[in-house]
Amino acid sequence: MESGSGEGTGGFSAMDDYETLISTTDADLLKRSWRNEKAAPEILQFESSLVQRSREQIQLMEETVEEFMKNGEDPLTVSLYQMDIDRTLFLLRSYLRTRLQKIEKFMFHIQKTADLWTRLSRQEQKFAKRSIEDMKQHLEQSVLTKLPDRYKSHLKQSVISEEDDMVMEPKLDAFVICRTRKFLGSLPVDDSGEENPLDMYAGDIYALRYKSIKPLIETGQLDLV
Amino acid sequence: MSGQSDPRGFTFSAAELEFLAEDETMEIVPNLSMERLSLISGDFGPFRPQIATQVPIWLAVALKKRGKCTIRPPDWMSVEKLTQVLEAERDSASSFEALPFHYVEISRLLFDHARDDIPDVYMVRSLIEDIKDVRFHKIGTGLEKLSSRTYAMKLNLSAMEVNVIRPFVTGGLETFYKLGNPDMIQESERQEYRRPQAADRGPRRELRR
Amino acid sequence: MYGRKACQLVKEFVSSDSGQLIVFNNDLFAQVIEECDGHLLQLQALLRKMQVEGSDNQTTKNADHFGALVHHLSLVRNKRCLMAYVHNRAEVIQNLGWTIERVLPEEIEEKLNSSEKEYFKNHSATLQSYMSDLDLDLAVDMVPPKDPYIKVRVLEEIGNVVLSDQLANLARHAILFLRRTDAEQYISQGLMEELTG
Repeated sequence: MESGSGEGTGGFSAMDDYETLISTTDADLLKRSWRNEKAAPEILQFESSLVQRSREQIQLMEETVEEFMKNGEDPLTVSLYQMDIDRTLFLLRSYLRTRLQKIEKFMFHIQKTADLWTRLSRQEQKFAKRSIEDMKQHLEQSVLTKLPDRYKSHLKQSVISEEDDMVMEPKLDAFVICRTRKFLGSLPVDDSGEENPLDMYAGDIYALRYKSIKPLIETGQLDLV
Repeated sequence: MSGQSDPRGFTFSAAELEFLAEDETMEIVPNLSMERLSLISGDFGPFRPQIATQVPIWLAVALKKRGKCTIRPPDWMSVEKLTQVLEAERDSASSFEALPFHYVEISRLLFDHARDDIPDVYMVRSLIEDIKDVRFHKIGTGLEKLSSRTYAMKLNLSAMEVNVIRPFVTGGLETFYKLGNPDMIQESERQEYRRPQAADRGPRRELRR
Repeated sequence: MYGRKACQLVKEFVSSDSGQLIVFNNDLFAQVIEECDGHLLQLQALLRKMQVEGSDNQTTKNADHFGALVHHLSLVRNKRCLMAYVHNRAEVIQNLGWTIERVLPEEIEEKLNSSEKEYFKNHSATLQSYMSDLDLDLAVDMVPPKDPYIKVRVLEEIGNVVLSDQLANLARHAILFLRRTDAEQYISQGLMEELTG
């Protein structure tokens, strides 16, 4: 996927090293998704099939380990398999946890933004719906019912507000730190359209505004670090 | 309130950086025989005494702790190579020598678990400390040059360095970005000179039509 | 001064250590609500007066208009502070749901108001329900795993035992690798010691 014409530029060993390190095992993909999810200000597309494959692999390995123990396999081998399972489980759990924490933080914004809502898994949507009910009820009981009529909304400051001006949104303008996976050529990085575009080579690390590189993360050309 | 410095862990903890570094591969020389391991993170081995093989660091350290292998430190961890890197770091005020992204974590893991496998371990350790210091100093000076013109900042740094400076760079750049944001400038101008501008605008709009 | 009490309330939250809660300030909270009611009364009075005088709210920019505006804005500001206070505390309570299952320890519970207690219950149930839908416990493994095995030296004769992953002969002076969870009981009884490095 990444190989081909870009190779053979020669004399840039760090770049070649980085290229050869790129592989596409599910373990790598899961690690990449975990990193991106942790570093991105907004919630990203749920990696549905990757999560399912990872869970299947974990289960398969757990069965293998049980088999090993039944057959009296060398305890060292067993513990190495177990450590590998533990590492994958941590990544999976932390990935799912990071997403839930974003849902907790931006629930109202995610709910009213169709593009974000569809990024959630079915279970996450259910979690979000219930979280919203919980929070709404709590805000109403604690604050909103005690306020005058025209000020009772949890989304708007008052009935005069045209927009939902009480809803917390992720800062897409936030700067993030990212690493390029391959030579990306020139990239316009600011709004003005006049500044010099960047020449981004494989393995380069940049601080950039999340908004300007969002598509590159979605297509896997850039990793957040 | 910045998403990056959220206490709930929107960035990486030291333990998480170490976890990531543990997936980098390293050469070991086993002293046992063990069949190939088909792990989720990849296939490693088979392991035969005295036959070098590549494994992730977590696996290398696990075997090392059990006395089942020696670890071959990577090329960049030699006194010769590190001396070169240190000199180059000192000679250049702004650029950074290429070391692995996780050089800090990798060297710490090996110091903790495989010190007897590292030739001149004390020298190596102090060189790495010196390199870290020089680089941090340079990072500090580099940050002073941050300005409102900075829309993007190239940072060829290691994972740990990135993590340490993240709040400064992202926070700093964000502040500049906000201060320089044309919307905000217009906003304040609009408020200050509301009347004259409003008066100006009317006819101009008419003219365009 | 308008808005001062609400600001105090928010400052109180900010000054508490991150992730920690102090007792819900019912008293100050009620005072801010009261202030809101006061603003509403004055706002309504001014609007009525303008109506009686037949002045159009959109065009008339007299003292009454700006007075009404000030009361409206003060009300909005108070609302934002109250919401910030409750919402930020709710975020801390959300976090508790990750570490504490179902029942809050007394020293935390006594800092919450009744709606917050209910919120904790509801939201941790929501979290638990997500986990059971997924059939995966997310409240463990909060930090990256380390080698689950540790090197120990047996100090007193223990003999043959069945451990979670192996049959082991724990003879005195033996040095072996055990799961940390298996070894902990022996270490705490002084029958074993962990060897590091």
